[in-house]
Amino acid sequence: MTHLVQATDLVILAYFLALNSFYALLLVLSIPEIWEQTRLAEDEDFQRLMQSDALPPITILVPAHNESATIETSVTAILTLEYRSFEVVVVNDGSKDDTLERLRHAFELYEVPRTYPEGIATRRVRAVYRSRSRTRLLVIDKENGGKADSLNAAINASRFPLVIAVDADTLIEPDALLRLTRPFLLSSRIAAVGGTVRVANGCTVRDGRVTDARVPRRFLPGVQVVEYLRAFLFGRLGWNRLGGSLVISGAFGLFRKEYLHAIGGYRVASVVEDLDLVVRLHRHLRQRRIAYEIPFIPDPVAWTEVPESGRILSRQRERWHRGLIAAMWLYKGMLFNPRYGPVGLIAMPFFTFGEALAPLIEVVGYVITFAGLALGQVNGAFALLFVLVAWGYGMLLSLWAVVLEEVSFRRYRRVGDLARLLLYATLENFGYRQRTVWWRLKAFFTVWKHRQVWGEMTRKGFEASV
Amino acid sequence: MTSRQFLIVVAAVQGVLLIALIILIILNRWVRLRRRAKVHPRRVALNAVMQRWTLGQAGAVDVLRALAHLPVPLAIDALVTWSARVAGERWQELSQALEHQWWTRVVRSNSRSGRWWKRLECARFLSVAATSRDIGRVLRLLRDHHPAVQIAAATTLERLASPVLVTAALDRLPFLGPTVQAYYASVLKRARPAVLRHLQQLFRRLDDPRLPRIVEFAGRLQEPVLREPFTTLATHPDREVRTQVARALGRFPHSESVAALAILVQDEAWPIRAQATRSLGMIADPASLPLVRDALRDTEWWVRLRAGLALTRFGAAGRNVLLEAEVGGHAEARDMARLILGLSPQALAEYAA
Repeated sequence: MTHLVQATDLVILAYFLALNSFYALLLVLSIPEIWEQTRLAEDEDFQRLMQSDALPPITILVPAHNESATIETSVTAILTLEYRSFEVVVVNDGSKDDTLERLRHAFELYEVPRTYPEGIATRRVRAVYRSRSRTRLLVIDKENGGKADSLNAAINASRFPLVIAVDADTLIEPDALLRLTRPFLLSSRIAAVGGTVRVANGCTVRDGRVTDARVPRRFLPGVQVVEYLRAFLFGRLGWNRLGGSLVISGAFGLFRKEYLHAIGGYRVASVVEDLDLVVRLHRHLRQRRIAYEIPFIPDPVAWTEVPESGRILSRQRERWHRGLIAAMWLYKGMLFNPRYGPVGLIAMPFFTFGEALAPLIEVVGYVITFAGLALGQVNGAFALLFVLVAWGYGMLLSLWAVVLEEVSFRRYRRVGDLARLLLYATLENFGYRQRTVWWRLKAFFTVWKHRQVWGEMTRKGFEASV
Repeated sequence: MTSRQFLIVVAAVQGVLLIALIILIILNRWVRLRRRAKVHPRRVALNAVMQRWTLGQAGAVDVLRALAHLPVPLAIDALVTWSARVAGERWQELSQALEHQWWTRVVRSNSRSGRWWKRLECARFLSVAATSRDIGRVLRLLRDHHPAVQIAAATTLERLASPVLVTAALDRLPFLGPTVQAYYASVLKRARPAVLRHLQQLFRRLDDPRLPRIVEFAGRLQEPVLREPFTTLATHPDREVRTQVARALGRFPHSESVAALAILVQDEAWPIRAQATRSLGMIADPASLPLVRDALRDTEWWVRLRAGLALTRFGAAGRNVLLEAEVGGHAEARDMARLILGLSPQALAEYAA
């Protein structure tokens, strides 16, 4: 028993050191990246170029399922984005509420014949509508098939070479599309681009726009602000320098359509369709030796409503983690495979061992430590010190994300908001982190059973957050 | 060192770093506030001087003095903003006066900097304040590897009329990303005479791998003198060249264009047939109606769609072809005709766009 506890302790210590060293590397890499991105974001000539006719046209894909509360505001906000040439394809995925009726009424829809081939197979399209008041809008009404199926239907109907998938409950900043196309101007090898997603809870929202960014006063949405900052500003920026991340948020990512067609669009059976899509994109492009980049840029921002109750948050996190485990298992052939370059040698191992297996290892660590303490095999003071160091490191990473936000984009201007950010970054490790570990752990038990295609979430609607 | 001592050291380092980060956050806010308080009045002062200068109530010397009080990036920002509001000759006077300022000499010397953002600063400055003595610098910046620098340098062409720069930009065009290419094209359109001369030379180099991009750009100019070279390229062996020619010819309503499109509409590659059909619809010459009617029976859906849409531009004759096809024996042509005839005028306009 003694040997088992000692050996496990050693393994966990080595894991802890390796993982945190990698985080430190990401942290260091995020510094030059944010410096460069901030410089480009401020460049006036780019602004001028981005307002010229030279920009590539974009199709915005909006899957909607039971989004009656927010659909009108969201679509109106999307239709008034600052971009020269774009169209919006909203897909009503067999909603049981009055999503379609609301759209029909708000945008004066009229039925038109279907004028495009079905490049990617989807559930039956019941009708296609155009709007009398908004020529850029196309609405597809189809049988329920899940988010991935809806996105595929929207890709089929899209006319333009770049497509962006946006959740119906996501608020895009007016200039976000302009900013998101920047990498396409800088390089002809761009396959996809991810932007930042921020938390809309607590913010003032008017006419589908976040007019005043605030950090929520309630702990649960507040701590998610820190989580999102950490995930986007420091995690993904660091990945830009390591060959590209595996994740482009499903709520806000721009893709080259020809590549989406080449890989057969979104995989309907996937739980987390965005992660699955990006992994397949990497695989396809690497296998065909196509030079490509999938960067993340921090300045285009979309705002999303995050769960405010532990019950819904637990469901969301369990689903995300289930999707991660399933994707890592499905594409295990890429793991440590030099054929896939940095994706196979760095990203896949990190997402498998550093993300997918992390809750399992963390729980084993807690159990072994308690067992060791009970059996007198582990020194109590040492265990406490170790836990404090682990939590301190977590705090350090969260604070670093706050620093990056402060030196770059500073969306949260008030001192009170900054104080709350610092507070949540500190408190996150005491209780909240352990709860997320438990939620993610549950995914290991449900991964083989479930197949959930829409992340069901009770929404307040943005008007309520004014 | 024992593992316990190691952890104590790590914890201590973490504690120091945590405090340092919090101090950094607070300091950052404080420094920004101070800088803003310091720079804002100078910005306001510059804007006031600029306003007076445009009205002829202040001299260029006052503007130069106000600019020198601002940090260099902000001074360049101000110049970029004001350059759009001030008439050409008057702005040239200011550009010449700026040549002798110490800070502009430093900015100009950055054209050779190893750091892209320094070169970008220089290119942005030259885009609004370049004089004929800067042609060498702009040439270097046009050939820069960073697209942001290239874009800023290309903007100089709007202010500095130089055949050397036009030729260099046109030569760079095929090697740029599609969007930067489109931006270059929009800038080059303004230097039309020099561009046309150089284009006619480039059109003669039939084996040049840059030809497809050059043809694409030339199509955007819609210049009548280029119609003839376009029609001669209709039989070019490169598929991409033929695609661009098929797309461009629709903008040149001429019997020779129709003759060239008659060849292209029978090309083995369907994207070329689709483009040629679309162009025939744009010209809408009644003589070409049989060609479009044949295209409605093409094996490729996109060509049939383009043919259907093109027929709507032929007026009553085109509509009759669609009505015949709607009840005709060719199943695919019948489906497409039904689809097109069912579209609302608004939907048709959107498809034609």
